[in-house]
Amino acid sequence: MLRKLIIAGLAGASMLATTQAFAQERGGVVNVATIGELTTLDPMTATGDLLGMVTQHFFETLYTFDKNWNVAPLLAEGLPEVSADGKVHTIKLRQGIVFHDGTAMTSEDVVASLKRWLEVASRGKLVAANLDKLEAVDDYTVRITLKQPFAPLTALLAFNNSAAVVLPSEKIGETLSEYVGTGPYMIKERKPDQYLQLVRFDGYKSREGEPDGFGGARKQYLDEIRFVPVPDANTRVEGAIAGQYDYADLLPVEAFDRLNGQAKTEPLVLKSFGWPMFIMNNKEGMMTKPGLRKAVQAALNSEDMLAAAFGKPDFFAVDGALYPEGYQWRSDAGIEPYNQGNPDKAKELAAEAGYDGKPIRILTSRQYEFHYKMAQVAAEYLKAAGLAVQLDVVDWATLVQRRAEPALWDIFITHSPFLPDPALIAPLPSSYPGWWASEAKDKLVVALNTEMDPEKRVAIWSDIQKLIYDEAPFYKVGNFNALSAKSPKLGGFTPSAWPYFWNAYLTK
Amino acid sequence: MRYVLQRLLGMLTVMFTVVTIVFIIVRVAPGDPAAVMLGPDATPADVEALRVRLGLDQPLPIQYVYFLAQLARGDLGHSIFLDMPVASALLDRAEPTFFLTLFAILIASAIALPVGIMSAYRRGGLFDQSVTTLTMLAASIPSFWLGLILIQVFAVRLGWFPVAGYGGPDASFLARMGHLVLPATALGVVSSALITRFTRASMLDVLNDDYVRTARSKGMGEFRVVMKHAFKNALIPVLTVVGLTAALLVSGAVVTETVFSLPGVGNLVVSAVLRRDYPVIQGALLVIAAIYVLINFGIDMLYLMIDPRVRY
Amino acid sequence: MAASSAGVDTPRISTLILQRRTLAIGLAVIATITLLAMLAPLIAPYAPNKLSIVNRLKPPSATWFFGTDEFGRDVFSRTIYAGQLSLMVGAAATALAGVVGITLGIVAGFFRKADGVVSRIIDAMMAFPDILLAIALVAALGPSLATVIIALGIVYAPRLARIVRASTLVIRELPYVEAARALGVPTWRIMTRHVLRNLVSPILVQATFIFAYAMLAEAGLSFLGVGVSPEIPTWGTMIASGRQYVGQADWVTIFPGLAIILTVLSLQLVGDGLRDLLDPRLRKDL
Repeated sequence: MLRKLIIAGLAGASMLATTQAFAQERGGVVNVATIGELTTLDPMTATGDLLGMVTQHFFETLYTFDKNWNVAPLLAEGLPEVSADGKVHTIKLRQGIVFHDGTAMTSEDVVASLKRWLEVASRGKLVAANLDKLEAVDDYTVRITLKQPFAPLTALLAFNNSAAVVLPSEKIGETLSEYVGTGPYMIKERKPDQYLQLVRFDGYKSREGEPDGFGGARKQYLDEIRFVPVPDANTRVEGAIAGQYDYADLLPVEAFDRLNGQAKTEPLVLKSFGWPMFIMNNKEGMMTKPGLRKAVQAALNSEDMLAAAFGKPDFFAVDGALYPEGYQWRSDAGIEPYNQGNPDKAKELAAEAGYDGKPIRILTSRQYEFHYKMAQVAAEYLKAAGLAVQLDVVDWATLVQRRAEPALWDIFITHSPFLPDPALIAPLPSSYPGWWASEAKDKLVVALNTEMDPEKRVAIWSDIQKLIYDEAPFYKVGNFNALSAKSPKLGGFTPSAWPYFWNAYLTK
Repeated sequence: MRYVLQRLLGMLTVMFTVVTIVFIIVRVAPGDPAAVMLGPDATPADVEALRVRLGLDQPLPIQYVYFLAQLARGDLGHSIFLDMPVASALLDRAEPTFFLTLFAILIASAIALPVGIMSAYRRGGLFDQSVTTLTMLAASIPSFWLGLILIQVFAVRLGWFPVAGYGGPDASFLARMGHLVLPATALGVVSSALITRFTRASMLDVLNDDYVRTARSKGMGEFRVVMKHAFKNALIPVLTVVGLTAALLVSGAVVTETVFSLPGVGNLVVSAVLRRDYPVIQGALLVIAAIYVLINFGIDMLYLMIDPRVRY
Repeated sequence: MAASSAGVDTPRISTLILQRRTLAIGLAVIATITLLAMLAPLIAPYAPNKLSIVNRLKPPSATWFFGTDEFGRDVFSRTIYAGQLSLMVGAAATALAGVVGITLGIVAGFFRKADGVVSRIIDAMMAFPDILLAIALVAALGPSLATVIIALGIVYAPRLARIVRASTLVIRELPYVEAARALGVPTWRIMTRHVLRNLVSPILVQATFIFAYAMLAEAGLSFLGVGVSPEIPTWGTMIASGRQYVGQADWVTIFPGLAIILTVLSLQLVGDGLRDLLDPRLRKDL
């Protein structure tokens, strides 16, 4: 279906080689340097790649994605049985699954978890609007009845972002006080700003067969996985070079040459990792004026932003389409307003929109250094167009809190991996901060979600892309490749937007 | 004894003033503390309920009394981000800060005391002149900048010390201390300047005193004159400066901990600012100022023990 | 320092000259730095915020004396321009500390009744480590250039107040001040006529050091990302953003760092020189 992510560079190649050359050994501890501390470990209420990356080790969902980005069963026995009208989805659960606290997982837990997901998770709410009934048929069968067919349902259930994780029913509350899941690893100790220590869960029941992306069998070679928050990117680089971290997440691209040829670490490049975006506040403040959003769109120069943020040209692509080459969703519809860098036109548009000289508040974080760099370049281009700018730099966790408050910002910067289904794209629903509400959009999104014919869905998506450029609810900056670093001793590891360390092992 | 009581009373009034200043700083902060604490998802009803619970609906003087009562119970408030009592958050981070400060002061003293004595003894000479310039140079270096350079040279290029952090869950005490070598050096070198200057000045004072001249005229060896008579008497003011530097070092530690990613109190405060976690800033400010006041009091008491003449 | 004694004292005059020489050197350096910063628009080869993405992280050369940063901006031009703001923040904070500190100090020293309260406040303020108090104040007031200046001004005011208070206590007991009071000269005139004039030298010396500390503190705050907004070039913000590239482009960090060191060092030389020059105890010995 979707072309799999291409693993580039020396690292990828040598890694495949190691997988075969060394035997998988049980034991060992890996230290994973992440970009910062998390406010919560509840993957339902919050979103974010870091949260998904960390929590997927101890929380599991009914479905997940295989290495070709097809939906694959995880806690479910198999793919749902769907009624002919596309409304009734019957899901059989695997038997003998236990939670970290030793209790067994039954349909009661799954129904309670999904109920919470439908209520509190931003992606769950998308389904809730369309839900007729959620019920347990027997101890190991769950049935979801929809009002209308909903194409992205299983993808949403599979996604680790705003994830439909299965929790023990008795632990479910408005906020989670304990993080008990079914994952291959469980939390032993958490020291904020220092580490999150995960240990192997001995009661884990892996799927049969071989690992396949996030799906298939999950092997538990490592004794421990430690997530160490290291907000300073330079420290992550130096720590990887010194051998302090076995894996260092999201490094500045400039570090590539330094990582190459090191003894204790090697660079890892993930092609077409994702796309940064500038989300505009469509709900409150000056950016609610369409003219001003178009002015910002006209002012921005994507090429310079990408070059400043990602350095080497091999690490980015100036591309206005929301899916890169190789994805079935790829379309060039409507992308003319992309990458204009035209201050005069921007000035004109701003004047027409009645811009009053108030500074545009750009909310960003230095934890993702490339966000911050793009913000600085953007600020210069906006200033050239006569728009005042105020950068509000906070840490990522705070940004996530503040972006929910429409009064606090005009633009915020985030990024997303290329997602298996456009219905998963975060700023599409009007509930996502940015609050893009438009009748034209609603119509198209409903069409995208209820249409079951894949080809027609692609056509609908290309109309949505055109609308995004017409209404400018957010601005896609381009495509980028991500750089991380891993120890040459770390085997069985598959680069991913959400790196996971089950299946990984340490060689001597 | 009366002197001790007097000083104790003085210390308590200063402590009280410190608390008042912190109260004022926090109340100056814009926005509703209750809304800040609950975060953006809170409903107005939740905020109002918390305002009542925190006593924020009361007039300021009553709030102030509440604040004092809360502190008297040893309650420093609750961290919004970490969702734990501020006191335990601070306690969790105390170890690296304590040892960083301790090592830095040891390094600073190890440099400053001999250099300061020598410099005073050879006053005006080439050594003294170079020392004067060098101490000024050391005091001019931003400690974070020195830290960045030390990391590059000793941790990255030479690989002698860890780059950052404080070891994992099972790092031994020794391993943790190993993480402190570079930061303590950065901090110690920068703060050695003040101690060197003070040692030199105090030594100059006593070297001119009558009893030193007497000792010298009695034909005592120079080393003994300098060390036994002069240094012993210069020790009190030097100790004062060492003590006060220790307190000032906390300032340097704030920056240094961030450079070296040490999970100390300083790092906590900086993160708290970026996280808008006001209770943590408030608690850290209170505790650190209180420690400073206590150290000051301790030094006064030390004076009393070393030199009983110090009495008003 | 007690009266003269043989041996140790012989080099005193030479020391004095040397210290005047350091004063001269210090003044010359700080004047040069100030001049460079003020004339930045004439001297700087590039605009400080001019992006040139193709020329990112170029090492120092004839084209870019101090190399370029991660946005291809000229580090030399930025260092000079940053000097304007860094010096301005230091000077403004010192001025504010001066106004607040001198007022508090004189009030405490001159009016016995006020002394108790003011002295306690001074003592309590001094209990906070400077950076920490500045961080808290900036956090409370909201980060901006102005709040950084206000915060640093508040942080350093007590130091000046303490010295002014001590000197005022001495001055108010001086015979001619007492005489003036006995003659019914209004208090404010005694203050301006006699007290302030006598305070000039200790204030000048202390202000020079506060200027130096304030610049270091500003750099520290900006480095931590809790001070001046990162898109405003100061030496502190320059080091903060260069930090990412210490491994492969250390010039981005080193030059602004050297600028801070040189400035603070020259200010300390001036302060030290002034102290020796103006210290009446030394003058008496001449």
